[in-house]
Amino acid sequence: MLQLNRFAKHFSNYTELRMQENKNMSIRFLNSNLVENEKKSTSGVSSRVFNSGSWGFASNPEINDVSIIETIKLANENAQFLSRKCKKSNKIYEGPAFTHSLDLGTDKNRISQKGMMNFVKEIDNYIEKKFTDLITRTVLLNFLGMDKTILTSVGSAKHSLWPRTMIIVKLGVDKNGEPISAYELFGGRGHFEDLFSKPSDLFEDIDKLYTHLKNKSEGVYAEAGEKEVILDADLAGILAHEAIGHTTEADIVLGGSIAADYIDKKVSSSLITLTDYAHSYNGVLCPTPIYVDDEGTKAEDVVIIEDGILKEFMHNKETAATFDTIAKGNARAYQYFDEPLVRMRNTAIQPGKSKLKDMIASIEDGYYFMRSGNGQADSTSEFMFAVTVGYEIKNGKLARGIRDTTIAGLAFDVLKSATMVSDDMVWGCGGMCGKKQIIPVGMGGPAIKCRINVGGK
Amino acid sequence: MANNEAVNKTMKLLSEAKLEKYQVISNKSKNTEMVVERGEISLLRTTTDVNLQITAVNKNKKARINTNKTDDSAIEEAIKNVQELLETSEVDEAYDISPFQETKQFESGDKEPSKEDMYNLITRFIEAVKLEYPKLNISESSLTFNFAEVNLVNSNGVKYLQTKGIYSFYVVFTAKDGNKVSSMNFASFSMGNLEKDLLDTATLRTLIKENIEQLKTKPINEKFVGDVLITPDYLGELIDAFAAIGLSDGSIISETSVLKDSIGETIASSKLTIHSNPRSKHICDGYSITADGFEARDLTILENGVLKSHLLGLYGAKKTGRERAENSGGAYIVDAGDISYNDIIKKVKKGILLARFSGGSPSSNGDVSGVAKNSYYIEDGKVQYPISETMIAGNIYDMFKNIKEISSEQVNFGKTIMPWILTSGVTISGK
Repeated sequence: MLQLNRFAKHFSNYTELRMQENKNMSIRFLNSNLVENEKKSTSGVSSRVFNSGSWGFASNPEINDVSIIETIKLANENAQFLSRKCKKSNKIYEGPAFTHSLDLGTDKNRISQKGMMNFVKEIDNYIEKKFTDLITRTVLLNFLGMDKTILTSVGSAKHSLWPRTMIIVKLGVDKNGEPISAYELFGGRGHFEDLFSKPSDLFEDIDKLYTHLKNKSEGVYAEAGEKEVILDADLAGILAHEAIGHTTEADIVLGGSIAADYIDKKVSSSLITLTDYAHSYNGVLCPTPIYVDDEGTKAEDVVIIEDGILKEFMHNKETAATFDTIAKGNARAYQYFDEPLVRMRNTAIQPGKSKLKDMIASIEDGYYFMRSGNGQADSTSEFMFAVTVGYEIKNGKLARGIRDTTIAGLAFDVLKSATMVSDDMVWGCGGMCGKKQIIPVGMGGPAIKCRINVGGK
Repeated sequence: MANNEAVNKTMKLLSEAKLEKYQVISNKSKNTEMVVERGEISLLRTTTDVNLQITAVNKNKKARINTNKTDDSAIEEAIKNVQELLETSEVDEAYDISPFQETKQFESGDKEPSKEDMYNLITRFIEAVKLEYPKLNISESSLTFNFAEVNLVNSNGVKYLQTKGIYSFYVVFTAKDGNKVSSMNFASFSMGNLEKDLLDTATLRTLIKENIEQLKTKPINEKFVGDVLITPDYLGELIDAFAAIGLSDGSIISETSVLKDSIGETIASSKLTIHSNPRSKHICDGYSITADGFEARDLTILENGVLKSHLLGLYGAKKTGRERAENSGGAYIVDAGDISYNDIIKKVKKGILLARFSGGSPSSNGDVSGVAKNSYYIEDGKVQYPISETMIAGNIYDMFKNIKEISSEQVNFGKTIMPWILTSGVTISGK
């Protein structure tokens, strides 16, 4: 922060100055073959300037006094180019200055590259020896670290170091000539040393993954049509993020989202309260904790739906001014050369009071969807998620596994159909949201009982 | 440091490190982007970046480092890191770099953009939309010029230089009328120059017109197995999925590809021919060199339904003992058929026009299901109405086998050239 303060004298309009380094590392074994063994580092400086209603942005991979001053100058020239062409009345919410530092790096002794490679190999060896009928297996260790230092002309400043380490295990079997697969993620926020102790800690969950895979391969295709289902936390989280979250990002609202007309209206069952948490839930850090965003705004929780009523949208400085409200820290950028966009942070439905076993017992003929693949949503709130692990529910009991399927619907209608919400809360560890840029996000929640369209055969 | 200086310095240090085989790629790029938000140009963004990639193979072990710093100390650290990764790597005889090929330079496109021309082109687009399609909201859009200089050098004497300037445009839009909102749609394409109005490029005007029609949609109140007329906008995505599950390194090495032993076999309708032509003069956004160090050449993947080539890179080819593909895929061109789009519609008894698909990644066996977006119901040879909440389930391989017609019209998106194709046997289920 002190480093950047030296450049504040070069700010002439509203200005953001950011230094950032992203680090990536990946080790991937595919059927015993090491197909990926890579490290990547991307760092640089960027500046964004607001002048007469227009933004200018510039970035440079070199970080030194000259490049930083040049970057600020170029961002100013870019803003001037647009403001000369067209004077606009757009304003921005400047908000109070806020300073914060967050270092989530490990305090432990770092494990060597060889140590991590051996860890992954041991998992791969375990799978190879124990499950001999697999036709394919992938074990991937993936690290992402983001180190940001920001100064704004308002006086906000931050330094944050956020690491995430994941191990992803994907298994595949052959069923009558058809490859069937399933995957599981381990890890989350933190360095390797804070998350993984010994490979055998993962074995029990890998065994469970194999069981799901076998059930899936012996299972059936889901029946197409509207069904009564239970969405487990993984799917409830993606529903909260993709289908509701995106439609309530203020830039999407201004772009025509259906949620524009829903503020203070009932949009879901009163069992549903949905929040984009800034950094903590019940006093515990969320997967992607944000205390100050990349526009220098202090981050606070955004309660999107409260007891079924749509309450708030998520804003950056510009949309907050347009809506005559305050920003709560939703503006984030992925790489140093990216401009901040309105992004979710940690989006989840709050737990209810039901027990998962009672929810399953209450369904005569439906499905229990446990693990999602990818998901997409629309400005109309129509969404689609892939389901990669799930089971039939017959007469209140779990029955046969199901093959890959897709669920879809209008999110607000689906949430209106919610009749039970479980009392547990599970955060997903591997969220990565795609908009113009990708960005790591947290998503999670309880299990939800609702009605949904299933795209089976 | 200049791009070639950084590469030369890196090669010298790698040689001094006495590694057996190595490849260095330096990609220096400059982007100029104009971003449109809510119907006006909101941001001008200029960025520069460089990526120095070092790949080393030593004692049949392989490692790779990427950094965006090219000063002496950064290069020295990158080489130290690659040596450390090599130590921890696994022995695999399939690791290799490309053999000697003749030194070549490839150039395409402008070197610098005209900001004025970019501004004028995108302003004309915004104004035309406001005038001709007032119900349309441009949610997000950008016009970008990217200039990239790629140096690829390896220890077998390969030296390639590729410079490319390309304009690209994308736009996301929805229509709004009172409290009615259409499903969002998007268009993206690449251009070698700024001569043509954006609204008249690729299928953009059609997609916008249709999006306004889609303010009023109806669900299909039944489930049936019918025809699907796939638009050029979605066909490119379908071919990408086909390549990923059936032709790529990963799918062949893991043996999950059902096409792993199908070279020379008929796997699709005889009407279907797919090329991957990154060097075609008709593809402005192609490429001339592959990441594994070869000059890219055009190839035919599927000829009259017969599989001609996988898309194996150097590692995949050596690992599986199969033939390396002449390029890295992409730049797909599907040959035109001999019947017009209008005449294809007339042949559809019952089905949908599939303009966009929101679905899960296809399974290895080709199964795919999801929602038909921005699509239309077709019955008795006529497009009837825009649909909503309609799910489809099918199999990519079956879709290619069941092709009934391919249109004589093609659309050039700069990166791909696609016709409309009519296929059948897809489960279509309404609410």
